Amino acid sequence: MSFAGPTIECRGVTVRYGTRSALAEVEFLARPGEFVALAGPNGSGKTTLLRTILGFVSPEDGAVAVLGHPVDELSVRERARRIAWVPQEEVARDDVPLLSYVLYGRYAHLGPLEPESPADRAAAVRALGEVGLGDRLTDGILSLSGGERQRAVLARALVQDAPILLLDEPTAHLDIGHQLDLLERVRALARRTGVTVVAALHDLNLAARFADRIVVLSRGRKVAEGPPSDVLSSELLERVWGIVAELRREPRSGVPYLVPFRPTSMPPPAIPPLGPGPVHVVGGGGTAGPVLRALVDAGCRVTAGVLNLLDTDQETARELGVPTTVEAPFAPLSAEARAANGEMLRAARLVVVAAFPVAASNLGNLEDLQGLAGRIPVLLLPRGAAADWDYAGGEGSRALERLRSEGAIEVEGVPDVLRACARLVPVVSPTP
Amino acid sequence: MSAPEPVVEPSAAPRPRRRWWSVLALTVALAAALLFSPLLGNVPIPPEIVLRILLHHLTGGVAFANPCAGYAVSPSLCTAYDEIVWEARLPEVLLALGAGAALGASGASLQGVFRNPLADPFLLGISSGGTVGAAFVFVYQIDVPQQNLVLPLFAFVGSLATGGVILIAARSRFGAVETLLLTGVALSSFLSAWLSLLLLLNPTGSLQVDFWLLGNIGGGTWPIDGIVLGTLLITGSLLTLFGRELNLLQLGNDVAQSLGVDVRRVRIRILLLTSLTTAVAVAFTGVIGFVGLVSPHIVRRLFGSDYRVVVPGSAVVGGAFLLIARDTALWAYPSSVLPIGIFTAFAGAPFFAYLLYRRRGVPTMGGL
Repeated sequence: MSFAGPTIECRGVTVRYGTRSALAEVEFLARPGEFVALAGPNGSGKTTLLRTILGFVSPEDGAVAVLGHPVDELSVRERARRIAWVPQEEVARDDVPLLSYVLYGRYAHLGPLEPESPADRAAAVRALGEVGLGDRLTDGILSLSGGERQRAVLARALVQDAPILLLDEPTAHLDIGHQLDLLERVRALARRTGVTVVAALHDLNLAARFADRIVVLSRGRKVAEGPPSDVLSSELLERVWGIVAELRREPRSGVPYLVPFRPTSMPPPAIPPLGPGPVHVVGGGGTAGPVLRALVDAGCRVTAGVLNLLDTDQETARELGVPTTVEAPFAPLSAEARAANGEMLRAARLVVVAAFPVAASNLGNLEDLQGLAGRIPVLLLPRGAAADWDYAGGEGSRALERLRSEGAIEVEGVPDVLRACARLVPVVSPTP
Repeated sequence: MSAPEPVVEPSAAPRPRRRWWSVLALTVALAAALLFSPLLGNVPIPPEIVLRILLHHLTGGVAFANPCAGYAVSPSLCTAYDEIVWEARLPEVLLALGAGAALGASGASLQGVFRNPLADPFLLGISSGGTVGAAFVFVYQIDVPQQNLVLPLFAFVGSLATGGVILIAARSRFGAVETLLLTGVALSSFLSAWLSLLLLLNPTGSLQVDFWLLGNIGGGTWPIDGIVLGTLLITGSLLTLFGRELNLLQLGNDVAQSLGVDVRRVRIRILLLTSLTTAVAVAFTGVIGFVGLVSPHIVRRLFGSDYRVVVPGSAVVGGAFLLIARDTALWAYPSSVLPIGIFTAFAGAPFFAYLLYRRRGVPTMGGL
């Protein structure tokens, strides 16, 4: 694209439907080649923002510019040459052959009496091939399944050859395979041709995976914006979507993904009465989350520590109501924290060591376990090669080796921990 | 040389089926109907003589200088035959053709613009407006000697005024399709009430109004045919040129708009053209029902739903339909002048039902 500035520029856009405010002072910019995901709960204004960019909705206040032109000054035809749109739902009435249907995308490029050229036709065939419908050219659109229809709409939008592509819930009717396929194609298109892609996406995992940037809307206001890994947090999910969810990171790419648990409006799951001896979990960086959750779900009394504030495991522990010794974010373990944690260790009847990465800052978490194994069971969850987790110059491996030599037990996974916990304490305390 | 990108040859891509040849075939059938229709009339004239008279005039007087030569027909009777065929029957046939085509093209365009399979040229109250206009003439006996021209004028003004109200509504912020439809329905009821009041207070014209309401093509003359066919040629061509926009409108207003169709402007233009087309037909023939409703459905079943075909195709089918209705009426009741609207409804309603119930495979126009 020759256009250098932002392809979409919304400044202080305010839209009202009657008295209800649909968008309030929204600032939004998008650049060539960028894939921006609009996220937000139902009714947060995602679709309205797209419709405002399309010129369907006139903002009460603020300005929308497309490729540098105010959108309300462009003719309908000029808009169609700049912006292609994949609507959330499209009702098909007539059984138009698929190829003709996709050729509708060329309308804005054709003169009043100009027929579609062979080049237009070839572009339509190519677009259909690209969305995997290359063998259905003559089929009527009513014979397509919902997912195929959605891909046909995308093909039509591709043929429109516009520098901006707006998608409103494009994956709503697609199975997981086609969801990935469609978004992969759209992202590749943005990379290859510099098309600006803005997609309203409900699925935050897809948004995090494909978008360069996520813009989060809530009740018509922009509440967060940035790369997925910066924007998504348990706190945001709780505040905007009203859900309790755990945010994890895909180990290789670092892409965040969320595991939803329950709406905040619902009480946490009732915890059955617990036995006297707590299980202490040592972890960090998300490694202890599954074991914490499994133990709490099984009715074990659990403590944890030392965990840094903002650590994923710390967030999980907080959400589960697990008493935890904490340290300031990213700080090395202080003497106070280690002392507090020591008290929890003394009370514990079982210690579980998650496969957390060990650095000089949290080496104390391993060192403080010394001497315990002779008194209570110390369970070690499986770890890979030392290089993958020992960032303390071999100190971590040595500490772990000492624990092993003292009699710490290597277990295979969470089920072993649960069995150990079940042997340890009666799940239901015998009350008269 | 780098590896060539696999490109599908444009020629390998199947062209969407336009089926222009089918429209052509229909047109030929229509021409045959045109040739056959003048043979029928209230006055029995030998078919050979009718054909000779037609050929005589069509060749500019070169062929068959005496059309009745070889038949036991007196010269004065031959002149009368000539008068009947050339000045009465053919104009009547052409009026039937023109009015039918106008109603067919208007019906197709309106069904497209409203995305409603039940839309017809009279949907928006245009016929009611025309009827009120005509009723004024009947009730107040306006300029009785010149009624031939006054009646169409009043009917035309009534129709167009109604169309104008709809257009104003379409231009306003209440111009949504559904609102327009309901506006038309309300307008129709309002005008009908007005008509009823008019006739209650002045019962003299009610029979004539009834007759007018059933449609009549007996008033055809060459100038009238000129007006009807001339208007149709222009408006029909323009409506056909809107075929592509009508196709896109079927995807919904927003989608059409996102693809580059100025929905509001296109809608207003199509409404203007259909109002004009219908008003001209109504002015000279009264209200002829079912032609505008049924013709587009026939075309859609035959040729698919591409409006670039449906609009002109409906004109052809509408014209043929009205010709056949006229011929059937004359064949069944040779000596009487029955309103043609009776026959279009008689034939149209069952045929419409047949079309709907016989439908197999994929539905179009939202199931109809």
